Amino acid sequence: MDLPTKRLARYQTSQKSLWQRAASRKTAYLFLLPTMLLLLTFNYYPALSAIYHSFTMWNGFTEPTFIGIENYVEIFTDPVMKKASSNLIVLALWRMLITLTVPVLVAELIFSVKGKLLQHWYRLLFVIPLIVPRLVTYLLWQFIYEPNVGLLNSFLASVGLESWQQTWLGDPKIALYAFMFMGFPWVDGVAVLIYLAGLQAIPRDIYDAALIDGTNVVNRFFRIDLPLIMGQVKLMVILAIIGVLQGFEGQLVLTDGGPGYATTVPGLEMYKQAMEYNRMGFGSAVGVVLFTIILTLTLINNKYLKSDVEYSGT
Amino acid sequence: MLQLMKASAGNRSVQRQERVAGVFVHGTLLFVGICSFVPFVMMILLSFKDMRQFQLERWILSFPLHWENYARAWSEVGRYLFNSVAIGLVTVAGVCLFGTLSAYALARFKFPGRELLYFAIIALLMVPGILTLVPTFVVILKLGLMNSWWGLWGPYIAGGQIMYIFIMRSFFASLPEALFESARIDGATELHIMTHIALPLSKSMVGTLAVLNLLNNWNEFVWPLMVVTDPQLMPITVGLYSFNHQFYTEYGPLFAGYVIASIPLIVLFSFASNLFVRGLTSGAIKM
Repeated sequence: MDLPTKRLARYQTSQKSLWQRAASRKTAYLFLLPTMLLLLTFNYYPALSAIYHSFTMWNGFTEPTFIGIENYVEIFTDPVMKKASSNLIVLALWRMLITLTVPVLVAELIFSVKGKLLQHWYRLLFVIPLIVPRLVTYLLWQFIYEPNVGLLNSFLASVGLESWQQTWLGDPKIALYAFMFMGFPWVDGVAVLIYLAGLQAIPRDIYDAALIDGTNVVNRFFRIDLPLIMGQVKLMVILAIIGVLQGFEGQLVLTDGGPGYATTVPGLEMYKQAMEYNRMGFGSAVGVVLFTIILTLTLINNKYLKSDVEYSGT
Repeated sequence: MLQLMKASAGNRSVQRQERVAGVFVHGTLLFVGICSFVPFVMMILLSFKDMRQFQLERWILSFPLHWENYARAWSEVGRYLFNSVAIGLVTVAGVCLFGTLSAYALARFKFPGRELLYFAIIALLMVPGILTLVPTFVVILKLGLMNSWWGLWGPYIAGGQIMYIFIMRSFFASLPEALFESARIDGATELHIMTHIALPLSKSMVGTLAVLNLLNNWNEFVWPLMVVTDPQLMPITVGLYSFNHQFYTEYGPLFAGYVIASIPLIVLFSFASNLFVRGLTSGAIKM
């Protein structure tokens, strides 16, 4: 084959692959099209709209009026928002404490159970409660706390502790604590399984080495298990932060933020302002503030909770 | 001899330690497990009681069982249950379909803007629903989707596919290239390769994500409360909320309604719990 023919051949193959590449590009964009259309309509546009309208007075129907940072000033000076924020901090700290203790403990205990079958049953035991819809859980706890015929007060009566009876969710002094206690013993089946996955991925020989060195259980947990499941811990911490900062469903169902403002949170105030008074601009501003806090905490979490401790070596 | 005795004594104390540890492990697990079950057991017990039984025999199973509570509750919440099933199944189908297409394109195609698009989608994991709640509601108003399931399907599918793409993209990317190359040489189209090679290999992951998604949209409460006000169209969560006000003092039918609301997830988990447990414990879900 002389040189020009060779070049021609190479030219043809490169042409062909270029055409092929263009076709595969088209397929790729086509595959991504529905996703992008949906995200543009229901995610990107609303997110930008929230930021823009947070600087306006807007009822969602007529043209918005630009009012600068007035909404933000209101968020940071309004006494109701202050109360809501302090409730939120308490709830967030509490949730972090729960997420980092109960499911980790349960996962460790299941992990330490010998016998595959028994492990299987325990795993199932903690997954089954997931079948109860969350709303039903709220309604059940509403009934547990009900002051006249509720389970908690009637249980206290039946063991002769009438003096301990309370109007659990109706007393501003204890409503927030009652709200926090809801869901006892706070085992989240999904979290347990995710932690368990992390524990099971730890190579056996590390444990054998630890056993030979005579490491005790507590030491092993802090020196081996915890560093090696940091990836899972990080994920659960982020999910807990996001969940608690934007959650107000429980309050909406159980207390409506009351009595007074004893259990309210910023999300609930946002919902009420937007839905009851059509204050979409103010609602957007609360959303932007919560978003900023969530983003900051997520970045801090990513930076300072290291998950790059990995077992290496063969 | 002395040494031998010491050794056996040591053995015995190790054994005793192990037994104590065992009691602690099983005791704690059972205590925690039973505590999380008490409310649900009570829910079932109370759902069979009439008013007299509720007053006098609240804590125990008492006969006769009042099945008619279930009939009464069913006539109220049956429709909501059907609505929720329809809303949930379409959502899961949409998430899996669009999510798979996107995840596959991002994992196995090379095209300009790939990294940018991937980053743009993943960045949404950081955007909480609370930021977009109010403006999305306005979008729904403007599109005229109030009081229609499209107003639920749209945002549910849009939001649900983000996590799905995040996990499935890395899963698809981890499959060996040789599989795809040989199929391409045989002249298979990308769609064919995706449905016949990539998807069968990721069945359990897709299943797990589908169950998680169904669980999430089944539990949605605030959004449908805002969008759907027509009782004919309400999902079970919102329907149960109004049912709760209606039956406020009739505890039997009330709790029967709660039990009925749990049935679809019971059915789902009885089929998919093993898959779900396996998928979640496979270690793919972390940061």
